[in-house]
Amino acid sequence: METLSLYVDRDSPVHRVDPISKLLYILAATAIPIILPSLLTAAVVLAISVALLLLGRTFRRVIPLISVIVFVLLTILIIQGLFRAGNVTPLFQLGSLIFYREGLLYAVRISLRVINIMLAFAILILTTKPSDLFETLVRKGLSPRIGYVLSSVLQIIPQMQNTVGTITDAQRSRGMETEGSLAVRLRAFIPLIGPVVMSSLTQTRERSIALEVRGFSAKGKKSFLNEEIQEPYHRFIRWGLLLSIILALVWRVAA
Amino acid sequence: MNSSIVVEDLHFAYNKGEEVLKGISLVFDRRSTAIIGQNGAGKTTFAKLLKGLLKPDSGSISIKGIDTKNTTAAGLSRHIGLIFQNPNDQIFKSNVLDEVMFGPLNIMKEEKRARDLALGALEKVGLVNELEQNPYDLTLSQRKLIAIASVLAMDTEIVIFDEPTIAQDHRGKEMIKGIIRELVGMGKLVLTIMHDMDFVAETFERTIVFSQGQVALDGSTREVFTQEELLKKAGLERPHVTRLGAKLGCSHTFLTAEEFVSFAKKSDHRGG
Ligand SMILES: Nc1ncnc2c1ncn2[C@@H]1O[C@H](COP(=O)(O)OP(=O)(O)OP(=O)(O)O)[C@@H](O)[C@H]1O
Ligand SMILES: [Mg+2]
Repeated sequence: METLSLYVDRDSPVHRVDPISKLLYILAATAIPIILPSLLTAAVVLAISVALLLLGRTFRRVIPLISVIVFVLLTILIIQGLFRAGNVTPLFQLGSLIFYREGLLYAVRISLRVINIMLAFAILILTTKPSDLFETLVRKGLSPRIGYVLSSVLQIIPQMQNTVGTITDAQRSRGMETEGSLAVRLRAFIPLIGPVVMSSLTQTRERSIALEVRGFSAKGKKSFLNEEIQEPYHRFIRWGLLLSIILALVWRVAA
Repeated sequence: MNSSIVVEDLHFAYNKGEEVLKGISLVFDRRSTAIIGQNGAGKTTFAKLLKGLLKPDSGSISIKGIDTKNTTAAGLSRHIGLIFQNPNDQIFKSNVLDEVMFGPLNIMKEEKRARDLALGALEKVGLVNELEQNPYDLTLSQRKLIAIASVLAMDTEIVIFDEPTIAQDHRGKEMIKGIIRELVGMGKLVLTIMHDMDFVAETFERTIVFSQGQVALDGSTREVFTQEELLKKAGLERPHVTRLGAKLGCSHTFLTAEEFVSFAKKSDHRGG
Protein backbone atom coordinates (compact mmCIF):
# COMPACT_ATOMS: atom_id res chain seq x y z
CA MET A 1 0.00 0.00 0.00
CA GLU A 2 1.10 3.50 -0.73
CA THR A 3 2.36 5.31 2.34
CA LEU A 4 3.57 8.75 3.05
CA SER A 5 7.15 7.96 3.83
CA LEU A 6 10.61 9.01 2.85
CA TYR A 7 11.89 5.48 2.96
CA VAL A 8 14.36 4.78 0.17
CA ASP A 9 14.24 1.16 -0.88
CA ARG A 10 17.87 0.04 -1.21
CA ASP A 11 19.87 -2.92 -0.15
CA SER A 12 22.67 -1.67 2.05
CA PRO A 13 24.32 -2.62 5.34
CA VAL A 14 22.57 0.35 6.97
CA HIS A 15 19.18 -0.87 5.74
CA ARG A 16 19.82 -4.26 7.28
CA VAL A 17 20.47 -2.88 10.75
CA ASP A 18 17.43 -3.25 13.01
CA PRO A 19 15.23 -0.24 13.90
CA ILE A 20 16.05 -0.40 17.62
CA SER A 21 19.74 0.10 16.90
CA LYS A 22 18.85 3.10 14.75
CA LEU A 23 16.70 4.53 17.54
CA LEU A 24 19.63 4.05 19.90
CA TYR A 25 21.85 5.80 17.40
CA ILE A 26 19.52 8.83 17.54
CA LEU A 27 19.84 8.77 21.31
CA ALA A 28 23.62 8.55 21.14
CA ALA A 29 24.00 11.19 18.44
CA THR A 30 21.89 13.55 20.52
CA ALA A 31 23.27 12.78 23.97
CA ILE A 32 27.00 12.46 23.39
CA PRO A 33 27.58 15.96 21.98
CA ILE A 34 25.60 17.34 24.93
CA ILE A 35 27.52 15.31 27.47
CA LEU A 36 30.85 16.21 25.91
CA PRO A 37 30.20 19.69 24.55
CA SER A 38 33.44 20.11 22.60
CA LEU A 39 33.26 20.92 18.93
CA LEU A 40 35.37 17.87 18.21
CA THR A 41 32.73 15.44 19.54
CA ALA A 42 30.04 17.10 17.47
CA ALA A 43 32.24 16.96 14.39
CA VAL A 44 33.00 13.27 14.92
CA VAL A 45 29.31 12.43 15.30
CA LEU A 46 28.57 14.47 12.19
CA ALA A 47 31.22 12.58 10.24
CA ILE A 48 29.78 9.23 11.37
CA SER A 49 26.24 10.20 10.39
CA VAL A 50 27.34 11.37 6.97
CA ALA A 51 29.33 8.18 6.51
CA LEU A 52 26.28 6.08 7.45
CA LEU A 53 24.08 8.00 5.02
CA LEU A 54 26.63 7.51 2.27
CA LEU A 55 26.90 3.83 3.12
CA GLY A 56 23.12 3.54 2.96
CA ARG A 57 23.22 5.28 -0.45
CA THR A 58 20.63 7.78 0.72
CA PHE A 59 22.81 10.83 1.13
CA ARG A 60 21.32 12.58 -1.87
CA ARG A 61 17.90 12.48 -0.23
CA VAL A 62 19.09 14.53 2.76
CA ILE A 63 20.60 17.31 0.69
CA PRO A 64 17.30 19.24 0.43
CA LEU A 65 16.80 18.78 4.17
CA ILE A 66 20.32 19.96 4.90
CA SER A 67 19.97 23.00 2.70
CA VAL A 68 16.86 24.11 4.57
CA ILE A 69 18.58 23.59 7.91
CA VAL A 70 21.71 25.39 6.77
CA PHE A 71 19.62 28.35 5.75
CA VAL A 72 17.97 28.54 9.18
CA LEU A 73 21.25 28.02 10.97
CA LEU A 74 22.96 30.73 8.96
CA THR A 75 20.51 33.23 10.37
CA ILE A 76 21.31 31.96 13.88
CA LEU A 77 25.00 32.26 13.12
CA ILE A 78 24.66 35.87 11.98
CA ILE A 79 22.46 36.96 14.86
CA GLN A 80 24.52 35.23 17.54
CA GLY A 81 27.81 36.32 15.93
CA LEU A 82 26.69 39.92 16.00
CA PHE A 83 24.55 40.30 19.10
CA ARG A 84 25.15 37.50 21.62
CA ALA A 85 25.31 38.87 25.18
CA GLY A 86 28.76 37.46 26.05
CA ASN A 87 30.43 38.74 22.88
CA VAL A 88 33.83 40.29 23.72
CA THR A 89 36.48 39.06 21.26
CA PRO A 90 35.98 40.51 17.80
CA LEU A 91 36.87 37.96 15.12
CA PHE A 92 36.36 39.77 11.84
CA GLN A 93 34.53 42.69 10.39
CA LEU A 94 32.17 42.93 7.43
CA GLY A 95 31.64 46.60 6.62
CA SER A 96 30.43 48.13 9.85
CA LEU A 97 29.31 44.76 11.28
CA ILE A 98 31.62 43.14 13.82
CA PHE A 99 31.38 39.37 14.31
CA TYR A 100 32.41 38.04 17.70
CA ARG A 101 34.16 34.80 18.48
CA GLU A 102 31.95 33.77 21.44
CA GLY A 103 28.68 34.21 19.58
CA LEU A 104 29.94 32.41 16.50
CA LEU A 105 31.26 29.47 18.51
CA TYR A 106 28.00 29.21 20.35
CA ALA A 107 26.06 29.28 17.09
CA VAL A 108 28.29 26.65 15.52
CA ARG A 109 27.80 24.38 18.52
CA ILE A 110 24.02 24.76 18.41
CA SER A 111 23.97 24.24 14.66
CA LEU A 112 26.06 21.11 14.83
CA ARG A 113 23.74 19.72 17.48
CA VAL A 114 20.66 20.39 15.37
CA ILE A 115 22.27 18.93 12.27
CA ASN A 116 23.38 15.87 14.20
CA ILE A 117 19.91 15.18 15.52
CA MET A 118 18.37 15.72 12.10
CA LEU A 119 20.83 13.44 10.37
CA ALA A 120 20.40 10.71 12.96
CA PHE A 121 16.65 10.87 12.41
CA ALA A 122 17.24 10.91 8.66
CA ILE A 123 19.19 7.66 8.95
CA LEU A 124 16.27 6.02 10.72
CA ILE A 125 13.62 7.41 8.42
CA LEU A 126 15.37 6.97 5.10
CA THR A 127 16.60 3.45 5.68
CA THR A 128 13.75 1.89 7.66
CA LYS A 129 10.41 0.87 6.26
CA PRO A 130 7.77 2.49 8.52
CA SER A 131 5.93 -0.81 8.86
CA ASP A 132 9.13 -2.50 10.07
CA LEU A 133 9.68 0.22 12.60
CA PHE A 134 6.16 -0.07 14.00
CA GLU A 135 6.31 -3.83 14.00
CA THR A 136 9.52 -3.74 16.02
CA LEU A 137 8.03 -1.28 18.47
CA VAL A 138 4.94 -3.44 18.92
CA ARG A 139 7.22 -6.42 19.48
CA LYS A 140 8.96 -4.42 22.17
CA GLY A 141 5.67 -3.83 23.95
CA LEU A 142 4.02 -0.88 22.22
CA SER A 143 0.26 -1.46 22.10
CA PRO A 144 -0.77 -2.83 18.69
CA ARG A 145 -3.51 -0.23 18.59
CA ILE A 146 -1.04 2.61 18.79
CA GLY A 147 1.19 0.86 16.30
CA TYR A 148 -1.75 0.61 13.94
CA VAL A 149 -2.73 4.24 14.42
CA LEU A 150 0.84 5.34 13.70
CA SER A 151 1.05 3.34 10.52
CA SER A 152 -2.36 4.43 9.32
CA VAL A 153 -1.49 8.08 9.81
CA LEU A 154 1.21 7.55 7.21
CA GLN A 155 -1.30 5.99 4.84
CA ILE A 156 -4.08 8.47 5.32
CA ILE A 157 -2.61 11.33 3.34
CA PRO A 158 -1.78 9.44 0.15
CA GLN A 159 -5.13 7.72 0.49
CA MET A 160 -6.91 11.06 0.74
CA GLN A 161 -4.97 12.33 -2.24
CA ASN A 162 -6.19 9.32 -4.19
CA THR A 163 -9.75 9.93 -3.10
CA VAL A 164 -9.52 13.58 -4.08
CA GLY A 165 -8.17 12.57 -7.48
CA THR A 166 -10.95 10.07 -8.03
CA ILE A 167 -13.70 12.45 -7.03
CA THR A 168 -12.23 15.29 -9.06
CA ASP A 169 -12.24 13.01 -12.10
CA ALA A 170 -15.86 12.13 -11.44
CA GLN A 171 -16.76 15.82 -11.16
CA ARG A 172 -14.95 17.11 -14.21
CA SER A 173 -16.27 14.15 -16.19
CA ARG A 174 -19.66 15.60 -15.63
CA GLY A 175 -19.02 19.17 -16.44
CA MET A 176 -17.61 20.78 -13.33
CA GLU A 177 -14.58 22.94 -14.03
CA THR A 178 -11.73 21.96 -11.74
CA GLU A 179 -8.75 22.98 -13.85
CA GLY A 180 -7.40 26.41 -14.58
CA SER A 181 -7.22 29.54 -12.49
CA LEU A 182 -6.93 29.60 -8.72
CA ALA A 183 -10.49 30.88 -8.40
CA VAL A 184 -11.83 27.93 -10.40
CA ARG A 185 -9.85 25.48 -8.32
CA LEU A 186 -10.96 27.06 -5.09
CA ARG A 187 -14.57 26.90 -6.18
CA ALA A 188 -14.06 23.23 -7.08
CA PHE A 189 -12.50 22.52 -3.71
CA ILE A 190 -15.54 23.22 -1.56
CA PRO A 191 -17.85 20.63 -3.14
CA LEU A 192 -15.00 18.13 -2.65
CA ILE A 193 -15.00 18.30 1.12
CA GLY A 194 -18.27 16.47 1.69
CA PRO A 195 -17.56 13.51 -0.61
CA VAL A 196 -13.96 13.15 0.59
CA VAL A 197 -15.01 13.06 4.23
CA MET A 198 -17.86 10.68 3.43
CA SER A 199 -15.63 8.40 1.46
CA SER A 200 -12.95 8.43 4.18
CA LEU A 201 -15.58 7.44 6.72
CA THR A 202 -16.79 4.62 4.51
CA GLN A 203 -13.23 3.44 4.01
CA THR A 204 -12.62 3.57 7.73
CA ARG A 205 -15.70 1.52 8.43
CA GLU A 206 -14.73 -1.06 5.84
CA ARG A 207 -11.25 -1.20 7.22
CA SER A 208 -12.39 -1.67 10.77
CA ILE A 209 -14.66 -4.50 9.68
CA ALA A 210 -11.76 -6.08 7.83
CA LEU A 211 -9.57 -5.75 10.92
CA GLU A 212 -12.16 -7.23 13.25
CA VAL A 213 -12.84 -10.12 10.91
CA ARG A 214 -9.18 -10.96 11.23
CA GLY A 215 -9.27 -10.80 15.00
CA PHE A 216 -7.52 -7.48 15.56
CA SER A 217 -8.93 -6.99 19.03
CA ALA A 218 -8.74 -10.63 20.01
CA LYS A 219 -7.19 -11.23 23.41
CA GLY A 220 -4.04 -13.24 23.68
CA LYS A 221 -0.57 -13.14 22.28
CA LYS A 222 -0.29 -12.06 18.68
CA SER A 223 2.12 -13.43 16.20
CA PHE A 224 3.87 -11.27 13.62
CA LEU A 225 3.86 -11.40 9.87
CA ASN A 226 7.63 -11.21 9.59
CA GLU A 227 10.15 -13.25 11.49
CA GLU A 228 12.15 -11.11 13.81
CA ILE A 229 15.60 -10.91 12.32
CA GLN A 230 18.10 -11.30 15.12
CA GLU A 231 21.60 -11.05 13.78
CA PRO A 232 24.32 -11.36 16.40
CA TYR A 233 25.83 -8.10 15.23
CA HIS A 234 22.58 -6.21 16.02
CA ARG A 235 23.18 -6.84 19.69
CA PHE A 236 26.77 -5.79 19.22
CA ILE A 237 25.70 -2.47 17.68
CA ARG A 238 23.15 -1.79 20.43
CA TRP A 239 25.60 -2.47 23.23
CA GLY A 240 28.26 -0.50 21.43
CA LEU A 241 25.97 2.52 21.25
CA LEU A 242 24.90 2.27 24.89
CA LEU A 243 28.48 1.78 25.94
CA SER A 244 29.64 4.86 24.07
CA ILE A 245 26.99 6.95 25.87
CA ILE A 246 28.15 5.56 29.21
CA LEU A 247 31.78 6.15 28.32
CA ALA A 248 30.97 9.75 27.43
CA LEU A 249 29.32 10.17 30.85
CA VAL A 250 32.29 8.64 32.64
CA TRP A 251 34.67 10.85 30.70
CA ARG A 252 32.64 13.90 31.60
CA VAL A 253 32.59 13.05 35.30
CA ALA A 254 36.25 12.07 35.43
CA ALA A 255 37.57 15.06 33.52
CA MET B 1 -14.49 18.25 -39.97
CA ASN B 2 -16.87 16.92 -37.38
CA SER B 3 -16.34 13.20 -37.75
CA SER B 4 -16.78 12.64 -34.05
CA ILE B 5 -13.57 10.97 -32.84
CA VAL B 6 -10.22 10.92 -34.58
CA VAL B 7 -7.22 9.42 -32.82
CA GLU B 8 -3.78 9.74 -34.37
CA ASP B 9 -0.69 7.86 -33.26
CA LEU B 10 -1.63 8.07 -29.61
CA HIS B 11 1.01 7.27 -27.00
CA PHE B 12 0.50 7.34 -23.28
CA ALA B 13 2.34 6.22 -20.13
CA TYR B 14 1.40 6.61 -16.46
CA ASN B 15 5.01 6.13 -15.41
CA LYS B 16 7.93 7.13 -17.57
CA GLY B 17 9.25 4.23 -19.58
CA GLU B 18 6.17 2.03 -19.20
CA GLU B 19 4.01 2.87 -22.19
CA VAL B 20 0.45 1.69 -21.74
CA LEU B 21 -0.71 2.83 -25.18
CA LYS B 22 1.81 2.42 -27.96
CA GLY B 23 0.67 4.23 -31.05
CA ILE B 24 -3.07 3.98 -31.61
CA SER B 25 -4.74 5.44 -34.67
CA LEU B 26 -8.50 5.07 -35.04
CA VAL B 27 -11.45 6.90 -36.50
CA PHE B 28 -14.85 6.28 -34.98
CA ASP B 29 -18.01 6.57 -36.99
CA ARG B 30 -21.65 5.98 -36.16
CA ARG B 31 -21.35 2.19 -36.16
CA SER B 32 -21.89 0.83 -32.67
CA THR B 33 -18.45 -0.26 -31.57
CA ALA B 34 -17.04 -2.64 -29.00
CA ILE B 35 -13.50 -2.54 -27.66
CA ILE B 36 -12.29 -5.86 -26.33
CA GLY B 37 -8.96 -7.00 -24.92
CA GLN B 38 -7.29 -8.72 -22.00
CA ASN B 39 -7.07 -7.21 -18.53
CA GLY B 40 -4.46 -4.50 -18.62
CA ALA B 41 -4.57 -4.07 -22.39
CA GLY B 42 -5.18 -0.35 -21.93
CA LYS B 43 -8.89 -0.07 -22.68
CA THR B 44 -9.85 2.02 -19.66
CA THR B 45 -6.82 4.22 -20.16
CA PHE B 46 -7.89 4.79 -23.75
CA ALA B 47 -11.41 5.75 -22.64
CA LYS B 48 -10.04 8.24 -20.12
CA LEU B 49 -7.89 9.79 -22.82
CA LEU B 50 -10.89 10.20 -25.11
CA LYS B 51 -12.77 11.77 -22.25
CA GLY B 52 -9.96 14.26 -21.65
CA LEU B 53 -9.27 13.03 -18.10
CA LEU B 54 -5.78 12.06 -19.27
CA LYS B 55 -3.81 13.88 -21.95
CA PRO B 56 -1.75 12.16 -24.67
CA ASP B 57 2.03 12.06 -24.25
CA SER B 58 2.25 12.28 -28.01
CA GLY B 59 -0.15 11.99 -30.91
CA SER B 60 -3.57 13.57 -30.81
CA ILE B 61 -7.22 13.01 -30.05
CA SER B 62 -9.91 15.13 -31.57
CA ILE B 63 -13.48 15.03 -30.30
CA LYS B 64 -15.85 16.66 -32.77
CA GLY B 65 -12.97 18.69 -34.10
CA ILE B 66 -11.73 19.76 -30.67
CA ASP B 67 -8.21 18.66 -29.72
CA THR B 68 -8.46 17.29 -26.17
CA LYS B 69 -5.16 18.97 -25.35
CA ASN B 70 -6.69 22.40 -25.84
CA THR B 71 -9.64 22.02 -23.54
CA THR B 72 -10.62 20.71 -20.13
CA ALA B 73 -12.45 17.51 -19.34
CA ALA B 74 -15.30 19.67 -18.07
CA GLY B 75 -15.40 21.54 -21.37
CA LEU B 76 -15.61 18.25 -23.29
CA SER B 77 -18.28 16.83 -21.04
CA ARG B 78 -21.16 18.25 -23.04
CA HIS B 79 -19.99 16.24 -26.05
CA ILE B 80 -18.74 13.01 -24.57
CA GLY B 81 -19.95 10.97 -21.62
CA LEU B 82 -18.06 8.14 -19.94
CA ILE B 83 -19.54 5.55 -17.63
CA PHE B 84 -16.68 4.51 -15.36
CA GLN B 85 -15.72 0.88 -15.04
CA ASN B 86 -16.05 1.09 -11.27
CA PRO B 87 -19.24 2.94 -10.26
CA ASN B 88 -17.72 3.66 -6.84
CA ASP B 89 -15.22 5.92 -8.61
CA GLN B 90 -18.01 7.83 -10.27
CA ILE B 91 -20.61 8.28 -7.55
CA PHE B 92 -19.99 10.97 -4.95
CA LYS B 93 -23.37 12.41 -3.99
CA SER B 94 -25.39 11.12 -1.10
CA ASN B 95 -28.67 10.62 -2.90
CA VAL B 96 -29.55 9.10 -6.22
CA LEU B 97 -31.36 12.06 -7.73
CA ASP B 98 -28.59 14.55 -6.86
CA GLU B 99 -26.05 12.20 -8.36
CA VAL B 100 -27.89 11.90 -11.65
CA MET B 101 -28.72 15.63 -11.78
CA PHE B 102 -25.12 16.68 -11.20
CA GLY B 103 -24.07 16.41 -14.86
CA PRO B 104 -27.07 18.06 -16.51
CA LEU B 105 -27.04 20.85 -13.92
CA ASN B 106 -23.44 21.62 -14.76
CA ILE B 107 -23.91 21.77 -18.50
CA MET B 108 -27.27 23.46 -18.77
CA LYS B 109 -27.66 25.36 -15.52
CA GLU B 110 -31.40 25.00 -15.60
CA GLU B 111 -32.82 23.08 -12.69
CA LYS B 112 -36.16 22.11 -14.15
CA ARG B 113 -34.69 20.71 -17.35
CA ALA B 114 -31.86 18.96 -15.48
CA ARG B 115 -34.39 17.32 -13.21
CA ASP B 116 -36.48 16.11 -16.15
CA LEU B 117 -33.43 14.65 -17.86
CA ALA B 118 -32.34 12.95 -14.65
CA LEU B 119 -35.78 11.46 -14.06
CA GLY B 120 -35.94 10.27 -17.67
CA ALA B 121 -32.58 8.55 -17.34
CA LEU B 122 -33.49 6.93 -14.03
CA GLU B 123 -36.70 5.69 -15.61
CA LYS B 124 -34.65 4.00 -18.34
CA VAL B 125 -32.56 2.06 -15.83
CA GLY B 126 -35.53 1.27 -13.62
CA LEU B 127 -34.50 3.28 -10.58
CA VAL B 128 -37.15 6.02 -10.40
CA ASN B 129 -38.35 4.63 -7.12
CA GLU B 130 -34.99 5.06 -5.39
CA LEU B 131 -34.59 8.83 -5.80
CA GLU B 132 -33.96 9.59 -2.14
CA GLN B 133 -31.75 6.59 -1.43
CA ASN B 134 -28.07 6.91 -0.64
CA PRO B 135 -26.27 5.17 -3.53
CA TYR B 136 -24.03 3.41 -1.03
CA ASP B 137 -27.04 1.68 0.50
CA LEU B 138 -27.85 0.14 -2.88
CA THR B 139 -26.20 -2.87 -4.45
CA LEU B 140 -23.23 -2.77 -6.81
CA SER B 141 -25.43 -3.59 -9.80
CA GLN B 142 -27.77 -0.73 -8.88
CA ARG B 143 -24.83 1.63 -8.44
CA LYS B 144 -23.62 0.71 -11.91
CA LEU B 145 -27.09 1.60 -13.22
CA ILE B 146 -26.94 4.94 -11.39
CA ALA B 147 -23.59 5.58 -13.06
CA ILE B 148 -25.18 4.80 -16.42
CA ALA B 149 -28.17 7.03 -15.72
CA SER B 150 -26.02 9.95 -14.65
CA VAL B 151 -24.25 9.92 -18.00
CA LEU B 152 -27.39 9.30 -20.05
CA ALA B 153 -28.96 12.32 -18.35
CA MET B 154 -26.33 14.55 -19.92
CA ASP B 155 -27.60 13.58 -23.37
CA THR B 156 -24.17 13.69 -25.00
CA GLU B 157 -23.56 12.83 -28.63
CA ILE B 158 -20.84 10.38 -27.71
CA VAL B 159 -21.30 7.79 -24.97
CA ILE B 160 -18.57 5.45 -23.77
CA PHE B 161 -19.49 2.50 -21.56
CA ASP B 162 -16.66 0.87 -19.63
CA GLU B 163 -17.89 -2.61 -18.75
CA PRO B 164 -21.59 -1.72 -18.48
CA THR B 165 -22.70 -5.24 -17.61
CA ILE B 166 -20.60 -5.52 -14.45
CA ALA B 167 -22.60 -7.38 -11.78
CA GLN B 168 -25.75 -7.46 -13.91
CA ASP B 169 -28.08 -10.43 -14.16
CA HIS B 170 -29.76 -11.45 -17.40
CA ARG B 171 -32.48 -8.84 -17.07
CA GLY B 172 -29.95 -6.11 -16.37
CA LYS B 173 -27.91 -7.12 -19.39
CA GLU B 174 -30.94 -7.08 -21.65
CA MET B 175 -31.87 -3.64 -20.33
CA ILE B 176 -28.39 -2.32 -21.05
CA LYS B 177 -28.46 -3.88 -24.49
CA GLY B 178 -31.74 -2.05 -25.07
CA ILE B 179 -30.26 1.24 -23.92
CA ILE B 180 -27.25 0.87 -26.21
CA ARG B 181 -29.49 0.08 -29.18
CA GLU B 182 -31.69 3.05 -28.41
CA LEU B 183 -28.70 5.39 -28.23
CA VAL B 184 -27.41 4.06 -31.54
CA GLY B 185 -30.88 4.48 -32.99
CA MET B 186 -30.82 8.14 -31.93
CA GLY B 187 -27.68 8.56 -34.04
CA LYS B 188 -25.26 8.77 -31.13
CA LEU B 189 -21.75 7.40 -31.24
CA VAL B 190 -21.58 4.54 -28.74
CA LEU B 191 -18.34 2.88 -27.70
CA THR B 192 -18.40 -0.03 -25.29
CA ILE B 193 -15.54 -1.73 -23.51
CA MET B 194 -16.48 -5.33 -22.76
CA HIS B 195 -15.31 -8.72 -21.65
CA ASP B 196 -18.58 -10.49 -22.41
CA MET B 197 -18.02 -11.83 -25.93
CA ASP B 198 -21.56 -13.12 -26.36
CA PHE B 199 -22.89 -9.66 -25.59
CA VAL B 200 -20.42 -8.10 -28.03
CA ALA B 201 -21.39 -10.49 -30.80
CA GLU B 202 -25.08 -9.83 -30.30
CA THR B 203 -24.89 -6.07 -29.97
CA PHE B 204 -22.13 -4.34 -31.92
CA GLU B 205 -21.45 -3.80 -35.59
CA ARG B 206 -17.77 -3.04 -35.24
CA THR B 207 -15.24 -4.61 -32.88
CA ILE B 208 -11.76 -3.41 -32.05
CA VAL B 209 -9.27 -5.65 -30.28
CA PHE B 210 -6.68 -4.09 -27.99
CA SER B 211 -3.61 -6.04 -27.15
CA GLN B 212 -0.77 -4.69 -25.07
CA GLY B 213 -1.49 -1.10 -25.88
CA GLN B 214 -2.02 -1.57 -29.59
CA VAL B 215 -4.89 -2.27 -31.94
CA ALA B 216 -4.56 -5.93 -32.87
CA LEU B 217 -7.75 -6.20 -34.93
CA ASP B 218 -10.38 -3.81 -36.21
CA GLY B 219 -13.34 -4.63 -38.40
CA SER B 220 -16.94 -5.72 -38.49
CA THR B 221 -17.75 -7.90 -35.52
CA ARG B 222 -18.16 -10.93 -37.75
CA GLU B 223 -14.80 -10.40 -39.45
CA VAL B 224 -13.09 -9.98 -36.10
CA PHE B 225 -14.61 -13.10 -34.58
CA THR B 226 -13.55 -15.08 -37.63
CA GLN B 227 -9.89 -14.48 -36.76
CA GLU B 228 -9.52 -17.27 -34.24
CA GLU B 229 -5.72 -17.29 -34.21
CA LEU B 230 -5.26 -13.56 -33.81
CA LEU B 231 -7.86 -13.46 -31.04
CA LYS B 232 -6.09 -16.25 -29.23
CA LYS B 233 -2.86 -14.31 -29.50
CA ALA B 234 -4.61 -11.34 -27.90
CA GLY B 235 -5.74 -13.66 -25.10
CA LEU B 236 -9.41 -13.69 -26.09
CA GLU B 237 -11.95 -16.39 -26.67
CA ARG B 238 -14.71 -16.26 -29.27
CA PRO B 239 -18.41 -16.16 -28.36
CA HIS B 240 -19.93 -19.47 -27.32
CA VAL B 241 -22.11 -19.86 -30.37
CA THR B 242 -19.22 -19.01 -32.69
CA ARG B 243 -17.12 -21.73 -31.09
CA LEU B 244 -20.00 -24.16 -31.27
CA GLY B 245 -20.40 -23.54 -34.99
CA ALA B 246 -16.67 -23.93 -35.56
CA LYS B 247 -16.57 -27.17 -33.57
CA LEU B 248 -19.39 -28.53 -35.74
CA GLY B 249 -17.31 -27.74 -38.77
CA CYS B 250 -19.41 -24.89 -40.24
CA SER B 251 -17.46 -22.39 -42.29
CA HIS B 252 -19.87 -19.60 -41.35
CA THR B 253 -19.06 -17.45 -38.30
CA PHE B 254 -22.18 -17.32 -36.14
CA LEU B 255 -22.69 -14.37 -33.88
CA THR B 256 -26.02 -15.10 -32.24
CA ALA B 257 -27.98 -18.12 -31.15
CA GLU B 258 -30.74 -17.13 -33.57
CA GLU B 259 -28.38 -17.23 -36.54
CA PHE B 260 -27.24 -20.64 -35.51
CA VAL B 261 -30.74 -21.97 -35.01
CA SER B 262 -32.01 -20.80 -38.37
CA PHE B 263 -28.90 -22.27 -40.01
CA ALA B 264 -29.41 -25.58 -38.22
CA LYS B 265 -33.05 -25.68 -39.23
CA LYS B 266 -32.19 -25.02 -42.85
CA SER B 267 -29.61 -27.79 -43.02
CA ASP B 268 -32.10 -30.05 -41.25
CA HIS B 269 -34.56 -29.45 -44.07
CA ARG B 270 -31.93 -30.15 -46.64
CA GLY B 271 -30.76 -33.23 -44.85
CA GLY B 272 -34.19 -34.73 -44.21
N1 LIG C 1 -3.50 5.14 -12.38
C1 LIG C 1 -2.59 4.29 -12.87
N2 LIG C 1 -1.28 4.42 -12.58
C2 LIG C 1 -0.35 3.59 -13.07
N3 LIG C 1 -0.63 2.55 -13.88
C3 LIG C 1 -1.91 2.36 -14.21
C4 LIG C 1 -2.96 3.21 -13.72
N4 LIG C 1 -4.13 2.76 -14.23
C5 LIG C 1 -3.83 1.68 -14.98
N5 LIG C 1 -2.50 1.44 -14.99
C6 LIG C 1 -1.81 0.36 -15.73
O1 LIG C 1 -2.03 0.56 -17.11
C7 LIG C 1 -2.28 -0.68 -17.77
C8 LIG C 1 -3.59 -0.61 -18.53
O2 LIG C 1 -4.65 -0.46 -17.59
P1 LIG C 1 -6.15 -0.28 -18.02
O3 LIG C 1 -6.93 -0.04 -16.80
O4 LIG C 1 -6.24 0.73 -19.10
O5 LIG C 1 -6.48 -1.73 -18.61
P2 LIG C 1 -7.86 -2.32 -19.09
O6 LIG C 1 -7.66 -2.77 -20.49
O7 LIG C 1 -8.97 -1.36 -18.84
O8 LIG C 1 -8.01 -3.60 -18.15
P3 LIG C 1 -9.33 -4.26 -17.50
O9 LIG C 1 -9.89 -5.16 -18.54
O10 LIG C 1 -8.80 -5.03 -16.35
O11 LIG C 1 -10.25 -3.16 -17.10
C9 LIG C 1 -2.23 -1.75 -16.70
O12 LIG C 1 -0.97 -2.36 -16.74
C10 LIG C 1 -2.42 -1.01 -15.41
O13 LIG C 1 -1.71 -1.62 -14.38
MG1 LIG D 1 -10.57 -1.33 -17.61
